[in-house]
Amino acid sequence: MPYPGRFGRGAEMGRGPYEKCGLLRDTCIPPLKKVKEVFEIPFPYADVEKDGKKTRELTADELLVDVKLWYVPFGEFTNDDKVLFFSEEKKIDLKTEWVWRN
Amino acid sequence: MGVLRIVTFLFLVSCVWSSYGLCGTKPAEVPKAKTMAELAARYDSSSCQECHEEKYEQWENSLHAVSILGTPRTAPTILTSIDMGLKLFPYSGVKTDDDVEVRHLMMCAKCHLPQLDEATDDVAREIVKTVRDWLSACKKAVEDEDYEDIADELEEKIASLNIGCLVCHNKKAIIHKWQDGYPQPDTIYAFQEGEHDHPDFTTVGKAPALNESIFCGQCHGEGPNFELDEPSQCATLYGSYLFAYIPEGGHDTCQECHMAKSGLGHDMQAYRDETMIKMAFDIEVEAMAHFWRKDRPEGVIPLGVINVEIYNKSGHAIPDG
Repeated sequence: MPYPGRFGRGAEMGRGPYEKCGLLRDTCIPPLKKVKEVFEIPFPYADVEKDGKKTRELTADELLVDVKLWYVPFGEFTNDDKVLFFSEEKKIDLKTEWVWRN
Repeated sequence: MGVLRIVTFLFLVSCVWSSYGLCGTKPAEVPKAKTMAELAARYDSSSCQECHEEKYEQWENSLHAVSILGTPRTAPTILTSIDMGLKLFPYSGVKTDDDVEVRHLMMCAKCHLPQLDEATDDVAREIVKTVRDWLSACKKAVEDEDYEDIADELEEKIASLNIGCLVCHNKKAIIHKWQDGYPQPDTIYAFQEGEHDHPDFTTVGKAPALNESIFCGQCHGEGPNFELDEPSQCATLYGSYLFAYIPEGGHDTCQECHMAKSGLGHDMQAYRDETMIKMAFDIEVEAMAHFWRKDRPEGVIPLGVINVEIYNKSGHAIPDG
């Protein structure tokens, strides 16, 4: 999103149209450009002791990930201003047995 | 000698005729509207409906039809601009709502209601009072349903002022007025010249930039509105179109995407519309998982990795603001 300056001076961001002026920063998705985002999500795990040795085990070996792109306008006038641009569900798993190797 | 007189006469007639043609000299200023109702009537679009029904219905669904009410976020934001801006600025001359004049509201109205410059300061104050009364009635209606009708009535009054047919097809139709002439009070501007079957707007004139992006750029702007004593800033889309989209090789106009390719016509929509959202993005998601490891068992992290690629196919940055 565009981060407008407050009265176009200094490092402070402005919010309302009466004080917004210029841009301090812009994290928008630029036209005719590709933006890449990488999200790393740890699987849930627990540290346990097996045969006297510490080891780490998965408590779930499947993840269902909802990937959603929202447009969230500024302000809190109503709760239904948010617009869902994109949604896709992805299932990932780590069913292969992990063996610690020194 | 007689022939010279006739030629001279015809030349003078042609000069005068061209001055009062489809676009011409600056017309005399009309008297200022004294009430919201008078201004709304002056820019009322309903007489266009009979002949241009489809376009009217499209426009009716657009945000242009509720340009100062908004979704409805715009009207409350106008009040915020008065309370948090105008009343706190030491040199604005505004301490209370009674001090608000047209020139103060033009920081919003330049785009949300450009015809406000044809109204008295009383109309500016009436708009402010109506929006305050409407917000108050909306709050009271939560507890007392008797206020629902009052809120609806006031909302309708606010919505009666909008970016209607005459704003684009007359008032803002000609951008380069020294080159192309000033919009005339009896003329509707479109793509060709001719007659127009309407009691008040009897002529069709040509608006040379009506289907060009610069036309929309008049409001969907470049950033700070430096021509104002206190520059406001809402839209920056036209700036993004000019300085980000075009340099990347983009060549579609605003109208091509928002009116023609979308099939929405005069229902010019943006981020809230499914069609526009589909036209705006290509999104790909890839997912995988692996064990990330250090040099000991405690350092192992079972990791899911989601790669998202978003390609913005539109003619401007998203989001704007």
